[in-house]
Amino acid sequence: MESTAKFTKSMVECSLLDKELGRPFKPGARREATPEWDKDKCVRCGLCYVYCPDGAIYRAEDGFFEADTDKCKGCGICHRECWFGVISMVKED
Amino acid sequence: MDKFSLFVPNFLPFKEYFVPEKNIACSGCGLALAIRQTYKALEAVIEKAEWVKAGDGKLFAKLFDKSPMGNSEPSLLRIKKPGGELIICFDNEAGGSLEEAVKKAMPAIAVAEGFRYVATACPSYPFDLYEKVKKGLEAEGKAYIHILCPCPVAWQFDPELTVKIGRWAVESRTFPLYEVGSASAYHLTGTTAKPRPLADYLKPQYRFAEISEQQIADLTTTVESDYKKLTDKIQPE
Repeated sequence: MESTAKFTKSMVECSLLDKELGRPFKPGARREATPEWDKDKCVRCGLCYVYCPDGAIYRAEDGFFEADTDKCKGCGICHRECWFGVISMVKED
Repeated sequence: MDKFSLFVPNFLPFKEYFVPEKNIACSGCGLALAIRQTYKALEAVIEKAEWVKAGDGKLFAKLFDKSPMGNSEPSLLRIKKPGGELIICFDNEAGGSLEEAVKKAMPAIAVAEGFRYVATACPSYPFDLYEKVKKGLEAEGKAYIHILCPCPVAWQFDPELTVKIGRWAVESRTFPLYEVGSASAYHLTGTTAKPRPLADYLKPQYRFAEISEQQIADLTTTVESDYKKLTDKIQPE
């Protein structure tokens, strides 16, 4: 039995590439909470950097670690893995 | 400038090889974490690999057989090297059955097939994983590495717990970390004197929400007998 649906490749592409629907994708766009470091307690060991799945944590110029908000997805692994409990997840509005 | 001499990233290369701009992995993905750590160990290979241009001009090393973020089948990474091949299996237990969570036959099959270096690893132990991938690259002949990647979506737990769950899998002896060198010499890496109760590993996962106490007791005996079979293979020095 032949399929009655006749979607051609070009039709599908047209609907997907509609500029009204399309918008640039940013991995960190749907984040619920952002990690924040308590710089008084942080010893700058770098464990949060090692365990970040998205590679969002980088070392700033002052030696402390920060999260790139374009990449961070707010999973909270750094918050769990920090030995000193320095990282807190702050909810965004 | 640094007050403390211990700076953890010093043990790993600082350069990032697998951080795509359009990273579509879920939040807290264990697979993405494992790939990121593996790529750091494969530094020497990636420099020579075939590079693919992504949409925004960033380059990716083309190493995977399939899509690295494929969910339905374990992704295999095959790296050709002089005298053989290094195969890395990223296992996220997408089948989701209880038997799959306990039994890991692939490393045993690889040993029987005559692989020169076989190892199991978990991204919860990043330096262990790094060392094993390095050893797999340097081994003469074929090498196989089995990596357990906790998946928050399929296993249904809080993405915060990805690294902890992997650690609990190892500590409860469900997924013991070991390596098999040449001449089938087994070597356990990271042993714990007292195993963690199996319930600690299974209970946070909602896919096992309906598991009974009896099933946990049965599984504990299975895990213990499997672990004993493994330790029996270790020859006394």
